[in-house]
Amino acid sequence: MAAGHDNEMGTKGSTLEHYLKSPTLLILVFVVLGILVARIMGMSTLDTIMTVMYFMGIALSLNIIMGFAGYVSFGHAVFLGLGGYAYVLMVYFIKPLADLQNTGYGLGAFLVAVLAGLFAAAVAASVGAAVLRLRGAFFAIATIGLDFTALYLFKAVVPELNPEQFFGAQIILPADRIVEKDLVFNAMFLTLVILLAVNYYIRKSPFGVGLTAIKEDEDAAEVLGVPTTMYKIVAFTLAGFFTGMVGALFSLNGGGVDETLFNLGHSIDMIVMIVIGGLGTVLGPVIGSLIYFELYDLLLVHYPGVNLIILGVIVAIVVLFFPEGLIGLLRKYRVRGVRLRDVLE
Amino acid sequence: MEEILVVDGVTKRFGGLVANNKVSFSMRRGEILGLIGPNGAGKTTLFNVITGVYRPDEGRVIFKGEDITGKPPHVITRKGIAKTHQIVKPFNDMTVLENAMVGALFGKRAHQITIGQAKEIARRSLELVGLADKADEFAVKLTLRQKKMLELARALSAEPELLLLDEVLAGLNPKEIEEALEIIKKVKVERDLSIIMIEHVMHAVMNIADRIVVLHFGWKIAEGTPEEVANNPEVITAYLGDPRYALRFVKRKGGGE
Repeated sequence: MAAGHDNEMGTKGSTLEHYLKSPTLLILVFVVLGILVARIMGMSTLDTIMTVMYFMGIALSLNIIMGFAGYVSFGHAVFLGLGGYAYVLMVYFIKPLADLQNTGYGLGAFLVAVLAGLFAAAVAASVGAAVLRLRGAFFAIATIGLDFTALYLFKAVVPELNPEQFFGAQIILPADRIVEKDLVFNAMFLTLVILLAVNYYIRKSPFGVGLTAIKEDEDAAEVLGVPTTMYKIVAFTLAGFFTGMVGALFSLNGGGVDETLFNLGHSIDMIVMIVIGGLGTVLGPVIGSLIYFELYDLLLVHYPGVNLIILGVIVAIVVLFFPEGLIGLLRKYRVRGVRLRDVLE
Repeated sequence: MEEILVVDGVTKRFGGLVANNKVSFSMRRGEILGLIGPNGAGKTTLFNVITGVYRPDEGRVIFKGEDITGKPPHVITRKGIAKTHQIVKPFNDMTVLENAMVGALFGKRAHQITIGQAKEIARRSLELVGLADKADEFAVKLTLRQKKMLELARALSAEPELLLLDEVLAGLNPKEIEEALEIIKKVKVERDLSIIMIEHVMHAVMNIADRIVVLHFGWKIAEGTPEEVANNPEVITAYLGDPRYALRFVKRKGGGE
């Protein structure tokens, strides 16, 4: 019996074997371990590591709709803001949730962030059904509209919620409502691992194949049987959910939230990281966010004042000459007969 | 014999333009039906109505006894109707094999097969149309003939019972047309298919089709065997123009077999 089982595994290739053969997965594991090692060995400050995870997190979230399905959401910061405000408002006003977020080595904060993510996801799902009918630039503009709508809504409503304590739309969490940064790290780390797994799973699943078909030619995809509307909404909702979670934990880490979380700059950060790394892959946003973070940091240190101008020029050069990004470029080549696309996807 | 498809009084308007006007016909399982007519006769529109891309203003489409009128395209594909596009629409950034896999993953057995099984189905389709050696190429690199065959392979991977071919021969040279016709005949037998083909390459469709439906300005003006249609005075004036020309097709059919 056992022998027969082994035999079957041998001929068809076991799942484990398949995953071990996938260098992408190994690279992803290395990245995750790298973050852990950097954290445990104290190679970087906790804030630096949190920023790296934040960048990687938002890039991987947007990747689900932009990288796989080809829908560039220019207003995706809206979900960052929705998640951030949802989290902060929940722990500010609801005592049990404030207590929960300090439990379980960060698991509590993770669970509250899931609630915040669900709020962002609900908005994404209901709005997605409408805006995902639009294509290309029109979709991008519609999501910007959504972002501004949410921004002005929060600016108007938040000050009314607690006029004595809130200064405009800014909320600073009181000392009994914040979470120790070690625990926030754990929650963010768990979120990032799940995000990587979800991205990887989508890339390898029929769902991912369908999304890629939508990116390539949506009409052809529909006629070939891809339920395009449903797939787009699911992808957009997932992207909204995870962006919301990252926004929640990012706000918790900063001890509060303000309306700058809705800034278009955050949307552009996400898009640029995906473009630098390469669309439609899992490694793209991971590598892209690391490069972007390093560049951002280097330029800020060495050329303060003009750092964003230089960054803008670099981004323009990438988009002009390497529109497929780093991974997109590499996957076209062979090294000693091995197609890099087999290795990098 | 069992009727696989019934088109019943289908009318489709675009503003003031009536692209299909009360078009009715039915086809038996295993038939090859030629759909011909001058440019703008409403042939592609009719395909789009059958596959659910357009919802007809009037009339019904019955597939295997079930009313599928107005169902979304992906649902109809899953029921067993596949289509190739007149203007080829390969997924350029995917390999040839991956293109065909999309057909398999979302076709008749959507959500029931694994990626691995889809790969096998796709490989067999590519073999049938002679693209097996191009499996790992990116679709963008194919020639027009190969892209047309990829459209066919993608449709076949959906494992359809009814295959709609929209000008699959257009733009091919005579030798390629011969090869393509052989492939179509072969897959029809091997996959037990019913086929409707829109075609402008007249001698080809007259050769391969069991029956022909002729559209003109949205109306069905004739239906019958290739001989009957080619001898139909209305068809000759409306479409073929010169009666002698029309007769030549029929003769070629006799000579070819």
